[in-house]
Amino acid sequence: MRNRGAVLVANVITGLALGYTVTNIGFGDYAELNRMFTFQDLRMLFAFAGAVGIIVVVFAVVGARRTPGRIHGGVVPGGIMFGTGWAISGGCPAIPIIQVASGYLPALATIAGVVVGMWLCRWANARLFRLDRGSCGL
Amino acid sequence: MSDYWPWWAGAAGLALVTINYTLITDRSLGVSSAWDRVLHWRAERRLERQEARFADEGALADALAAATAEEFGDRYSTEDRRDEVQAQDLGSPAVAATSAASVRPVPVVTQAALLLAIFAGGWVAAVTAGRFEVRFDMGAGFRELVTADPKIMIGLLFAGGVLVGFGTRLAGGCSSGHGLSGCGRLRPVSLVATAVFFGTAVLVSFLLWKVI
Repeated sequence: MRNRGAVLVANVITGLALGYTVTNIGFGDYAELNRMFTFQDLRMLFAFAGAVGIIVVVFAVVGARRTPGRIHGGVVPGGIMFGTGWAISGGCPAIPIIQVASGYLPALATIAGVVVGMWLCRWANARLFRLDRGSCGL
Repeated sequence: MSDYWPWWAGAAGLALVTINYTLITDRSLGVSSAWDRVLHWRAERRLERQEARFADEGALADALAAATAEEFGDRYSTEDRRDEVQAQDLGSPAVAATSAASVRPVPVVTQAALLLAIFAGGWVAAVTAGRFEVRFDMGAGFRELVTADPKIMIGLLFAGGVLVGFGTRLAGGCSSGHGLSGCGRLRPVSLVATAVFFGTAVLVSFLLWKVI
């Protein structure tokens, strides 16, 4: 899709649906998140895994285009950093947004941290790592 | 008993969002890359302008070729000639550029709209479910498992955010990009990244729950 307006509309609808869904699943609730990661409550884990299962089947049926991606040097250390940060703050990049939208104002500190972390990563990669990290979302 | 959605409704919702986005835009959903591009909007706008200029130059070359054909005669149309050149010269930089253009990033303004819409969608969900409440803490779970001290809370949230921001960009994606879109496509890099960040989150969460 090349049409700028159509992509804008698609992104707005996707954002609204994503924010609505993720909030209603409970990903913004720190206690629910910790219960998922410690396997005390498998509801959210099943929601995530079930979504992946549905997506695998549908993408295979419709023949969704494969996006480029290779296992580079940043995948494992980056994943460890992200997992640690997610468990401590309760936020992946979308979650602090819905936490603030739900009234959890301290999540603004998480957003500030995400912003600083992304700036640091681009700066550090340009000067130190020089990895071709690729990206999931285009 | 939680008053959140049951697992199957959550699974259907997340799958619907990811699949619809991919089918409509022919791209992968990735919130961390949206963040990254919005934060570096100056560089992104520069790239967009460069792409637009190249597109203009391509149009100019086509116009010149059409004018030349009209002046001197040509049994091929411009489109025929372009197709023929591409068929004979697979792997050339020009073809690579054409292929890359088909997956080039969406405009950065649409990524900003995505982030704002996530906020709006979250707000609507919280209000309609009766969960919206302005709070200066992160709830009982954070208080019991991590800290009840407001200053330490802000420090840990910020530090956690830095790890999330740095880590997702270093790994090239987050729970939506690698976890949903990438694993949905069975991309090896996404399967590895998801296993690592989920495994680490499990480990750290157990430490918070049982040890610290």
